[in-house]
Amino acid sequence: MTRLVAALVGVVFGFTLAWSGMSDPDVIRAGLIFEDLYLFWFFFAAMATAFVGVQILRRANVRALVTRERITPETLRPERRHVGGSILFGLGWAISAACPGPVAAQLGQGILWSLATIAGIVIGLTLHAARERGRETAKAGTRPASAVGIE
Amino acid sequence: MRETFASQAPWYVAGPLLGLCVIAVLALLNGRLGVVGGFSDVVDRVSERSLRLGWKGTFLVGLVGGSLLWALVSGGRTGDGYGWLTETFSAPFVALALLVAGVCIGVGAKTAGGCTAGNGLSGNAFGSRAALVATLTFMAVAVGVSFVTKWIWGAGL
Repeated sequence: MTRLVAALVGVVFGFTLAWSGMSDPDVIRAGLIFEDLYLFWFFFAAMATAFVGVQILRRANVRALVTRERITPETLRPERRHVGGSILFGLGWAISAACPGPVAAQLGQGILWSLATIAGIVIGLTLHAARERGRETAKAGTRPASAVGIE
Repeated sequence: MRETFASQAPWYVAGPLLGLCVIAVLALLNGRLGVVGGFSDVVDRVSERSLRLGWKGTFLVGLVGGSLLWALVSGGRTGDGYGWLTETFSAPFVALALLVAGVCIGVGAKTAGGCTAGNGLSGNAFGSRAALVATLTFMAVAVGVSFVTKWIWGAGL
């Protein structure tokens, strides 16, 4: 049920991304060089809508309808990785004029260029996982076992 | 109906619709909507030779399907170029540039704990300061890099 519900929301999300032109690299590039501010209006309208809904759900203190878990929107304190990772992400976004959602939407429309970007994302995810494993091993090797997993 | 969907949705329709998806994932699943998590889910399952996706993976599958649905309803877009890149560079170079950009997106989003959806939409809607810092950073970098490429190679629009 959880998986099915997520897939259905995904359909609405993908349809909306495509309809708003986010799968068209020209639309994103025109936004990033301020030739057409649609990208920003769209993004801020989405964020503002979500913000209002999430804050109402948080205050209502209710359970999720499908999973029955208590609704807990997670917040984090900024760390260096949020800046470092986002610098790299912003670079990739500017070059490809696409981010993960739009790339997946391009795939849905049969835009074959998206395969190159997706191959890159898969390589990136694999590199990141390998680096994390390396860190875990290094941590386990240099610290007492009780200290592992504190970060 | 075809005309309605063939022209770009007004931002004040499409934006709130996208925001509602974030609300729906939280209200129904207590989840944080994101797309990179879906890519990770698919990659992890495939590397385990399993197709038993988690909800993030099925969300991504739905996303691809939703975009296909739009293409069927609207007639899709024509042309086989890829925006400013194919306007400016040869096809092999474009493929390489997209591959490198993809690596930056994959490593960057995983390191920062989210992409334009996970941090930019959901994280900010949750009121996470980390997401705000991430969003301001990738917005500034993306705008900066886009202007630099525009000065060097032109807008390519």
